[in-house]
Amino acid sequence: MSEASLARMPPPSRDLSRKAAIVGVGETDFGADYKASRARAPGYEPPTTESLAITAFERALADAGLKREDIDGISVSFLYGGPSAEDTAKLVGIKPRHTMQTPGILAGPLPIVCTAIAEGKCDTVAMIYGVASRTSGRVFGGLAFTGGPGPTSYYYHHPWGWSSQAAHWALIWRRYQAIYGATEADLGSVAVQLRKNAMANPNAVMQTPLTIEAYLASRYIVRPLHLFDMCLVNDGAVCLIVRKADKARDMPHTPVLVAGWGEGRIKNDKFHYMVREQLRPQMQEAARQTYEMSGLAKSDVQHFECYDASSMHLINQVEGFDFAPRGGGLERFKSGEMAVGGAMPVNVAGGMLSGAYMHGWNHVAEITRQLRHEAGPRQIADIEVSMFSLAETDEVHPIIFQRGA
Amino acid sequence: MAQRRPDRVRGPGHDEFWAWCDKGELRLQRCASCGRIPWPIVQKCEYCGGSELVWEPMSGRAKIVSGCTFEYDYYKGMLPIPYETILVELEEGALFISNPVDLTWRDIEIDMPVKLTFLDCEDSAGAFKLPVFEKA
Repeated sequence: MSEASLARMPPPSRDLSRKAAIVGVGETDFGADYKASRARAPGYEPPTTESLAITAFERALADAGLKREDIDGISVSFLYGGPSAEDTAKLVGIKPRHTMQTPGILAGPLPIVCTAIAEGKCDTVAMIYGVASRTSGRVFGGLAFTGGPGPTSYYYHHPWGWSSQAAHWALIWRRYQAIYGATEADLGSVAVQLRKNAMANPNAVMQTPLTIEAYLASRYIVRPLHLFDMCLVNDGAVCLIVRKADKARDMPHTPVLVAGWGEGRIKNDKFHYMVREQLRPQMQEAARQTYEMSGLAKSDVQHFECYDASSMHLINQVEGFDFAPRGGGLERFKSGEMAVGGAMPVNVAGGMLSGAYMHGWNHVAEITRQLRHEAGPRQIADIEVSMFSLAETDEVHPIIFQRGA
Repeated sequence: MAQRRPDRVRGPGHDEFWAWCDKGELRLQRCASCGRIPWPIVQKCEYCGGSELVWEPMSGRAKIVSGCTFEYDYYKGMLPIPYETILVELEEGALFISNPVDLTWRDIEIDMPVKLTFLDCEDSAGAFKLPVFEKA
């Protein structure tokens, strides 16, 4: 399962800061592919991880203005299985000198790739992620979860009928409601805002408006969480071309530097840290490491992209990274402060709730567009620094990015 | 009649836990080194790494930390939806996922005191007693 693939990232170090930059980004057609998979027209051929990966790679390569022979490294992150790094290199027609099999979910792969570049193993890496989650009928709870390398909480409580990521966020939300007096309509403001954000992103899956009334009328998945509190399930791939920073100049687009990262992890007492603390201590520690590595401060951050497996989990991160006071995240959403034009825009391309379930890769693709100042109608003005956070049910991995020269 | 439930995790430690339940006792592992009570079952203490773990009876007194209601049929018909789950804090400090007895989400309040009882259940390994909680 997902967390099994969250291998440890190289420890943050000032020596690794800004050694590499994103110079190319390619995404598959999330919205069009989702529509086609729902319509299942006669003759419909569902995409494969391989076909998606090729599309994303070719788009990223073209975006970077590079040729296949310029790529001397590859990392593959096929979360639910796919070809090896070597076979993927053959598939996309490159001959890298360094190959990496990296975790499926971002953030882990980026620090691994940046470190490989800093160590001189390669200069220009094609990072390829892809999933056919929808086509493969993936289910995110119940007996699909069994013992193994994943978190114990994913399978241990089956006799009580308790499993699924949704149930983790539901326990947090139920308690949050009681502590802060928040209502379902308050939480609905997150889904509504992210839908608006998605509608400003032509590649997002969801393109029809969502109202609070429609949110409240939607079915529950695990009460008190509604359908629209849960992220999408769709097929897709993302490719990032990451290059040694001193070779990332004079490219078609402004490079986006990987300035810092960090890690926070629940070591014990998971339900306490998750349900009563909303992973705040882990987020605070991971943020501290990230700022220290990058030499940047929270006051430098102008944009936050976070792993919105659920609207509630987005609020955990907004508050855990101090972009809103504890118990104050929903008010910030309702007041528009977390929309483009507000004090701290969050998940401005629609995130995973309404954009695409690309396991953090879509968030970093959006950060790349924002820091290039190429995000079109949803561009955040004069942006220089963006923060990304991957948080799962027991670990947190932020990365901070800076617009290069 | 015993309720059908999804399978328990079995193996060293887990089997002892369920054997105590069958005797009508909720016993968890208290670490002899640090005194904490890890849950779910561990082979070494998750707080301090200690390997001496003593099966200690819990009082059965607890309070509700949170709860959620399953409306989506994750278990494909095995459990009739909707059904309630709760996270309780045992008097001894451990946080425990369970089911409430005769309480719906409308009745459940954060910090509500509850007390232990057992439900006759069965899974593919046979009959067992499931620790659940009712209003204290």
